[in-house]
Amino acid sequence: MSALTYLLPWEFSPVLLLSVLITGGLYTRAVLLKPNKEIKVKFYWQVLSFYFGLLSIYIVSHTYVDYLSQYMFWVHRFQHLVLHHLGPLLLVLGGAQWVQQGAPSLFTNWCRVPAVIRVPSELCYRFIQHPVIAPVVFVGLIYLWLIPEIHFAAMLSKKLYWIMNWSMLIDGFLFWWLVLGPEWQGEQRGFKTRLLMMVVVVVPQQLLGAYLTLSRSVLYDVYDVCGRAWPISPLSDQIYGGIITWIPASMMSVLGLVLVLRRRLNYLKRIENELS
Amino acid sequence: MSYLKVIFITLLLFVLSACTNDEPTKLTNIKGLIPDLAFELTDENNAAVTEKNYLGYTTAVFFGFTSCPEVCPTTMHQWAATIKQLGDSAASVKVLFVSVDPERDSVEKLRQYTELFGPAFIGLRGEDAVIKDMTKRYRVTFGYGDKNTQGDYEVSHSSAVFVFDQHGKARILATQSSPPDDLLHDLKNLLASSR
Repeated sequence: MSALTYLLPWEFSPVLLLSVLITGGLYTRAVLLKPNKEIKVKFYWQVLSFYFGLLSIYIVSHTYVDYLSQYMFWVHRFQHLVLHHLGPLLLVLGGAQWVQQGAPSLFTNWCRVPAVIRVPSELCYRFIQHPVIAPVVFVGLIYLWLIPEIHFAAMLSKKLYWIMNWSMLIDGFLFWWLVLGPEWQGEQRGFKTRLLMMVVVVVPQQLLGAYLTLSRSVLYDVYDVCGRAWPISPLSDQIYGGIITWIPASMMSVLGLVLVLRRRLNYLKRIENELS
Repeated sequence: MSYLKVIFITLLLFVLSACTNDEPTKLTNIKGLIPDLAFELTDENNAAVTEKNYLGYTTAVFFGFTSCPEVCPTTMHQWAATIKQLGDSAASVKVLFVSVDPERDSVEKLRQYTELFGPAFIGLRGEDAVIKDMTKRYRVTFGYGDKNTQGDYEVSHSSAVFVFDQHGKARILATQSSPPDDLLHDLKNLLASSR
């Protein structure tokens, strides 16, 4: 196989390509327009984080990795680790809010949107970003797509596969935006809620990962039905997938916890410096 | 359960509802989920064939290889036994055995293989790229393991049998683990609705 086979999309998605190009383009524009006084070491790290996050999402969705994700359970788990955890987290840490600054003002003036669209959108957003709802949806979606019957249909139907991956990406972004977005800079208000949210999402993911890893029967027969990308025993495939769900996915949530603590400590340090 | 989860499940059921119909099937109903029958391959008599050659028949498509030690022979034997139980309707069923190992599966080898199971069984082959395109169309795949010293290698492939009605529309998905009674039930119903 040529190198091009690995880089070209398995199933071309204009929606994904345009989303990545527009997001990356607007972010780049905003970065180039940044005044020099705002450019510090942290800024470079943020830019690196954003581009790496966007690239990782593109790679798992629009290259040979996407093909492997459809025909290997463990690669599928890796794909969702990137779409739901790593990619969105890196985008949020990388200053995803700058994307808005890079967009022409015509598109960013939310108040101009007719109330018929604006009000329900805001209500939906507020609902899904509620500190009780958000962790439930975050973990609930992982469980939902792993219900064997639903997983079977999602892997067999192109339409459902597309819905599954986009729902994971959008939910991942919303969750990390809520926890580590620019609205909270480390203040006391919201600190405990964020800590609790991170703790709450770790345990069910670990339980699920352990269940997949330790299960002695093959839970997802769709990979037998559709064939695997290369010969591997179904149980080994499931164990690797379980480990990815168990360890790196829950570790990402622990990392989120550390980042919340770090932001809080930095905030306290800043306040202390200002007072002294 | 959050409202959002309810919304998601409703959405999912809505999408799935487009894929199902009222006819009860015991095996997985794939109407609308899988594209219509379409291919350009070579049959076991070295003749070029397309899906049009099999319109009018209830067609089962399986992606396998003749050196397969387990899944392929088990599935083919199961189908041979089921077809025998169909009686007069058996003549309206064709089982297309599409080789995912064209390097080892010659036309001759395919013919010898399908003869073991009966006249309803037809071996088909094509270039690697053609088979790749066809498997992609039905959202299945195959892959090869490393060659051993004798030049043999393992092949991973789909265990699915896609059943198409006489118009070439995808209807049922069976596997080697499908209960034979369920397969017989669904095939009879499909054949009855085709009349």
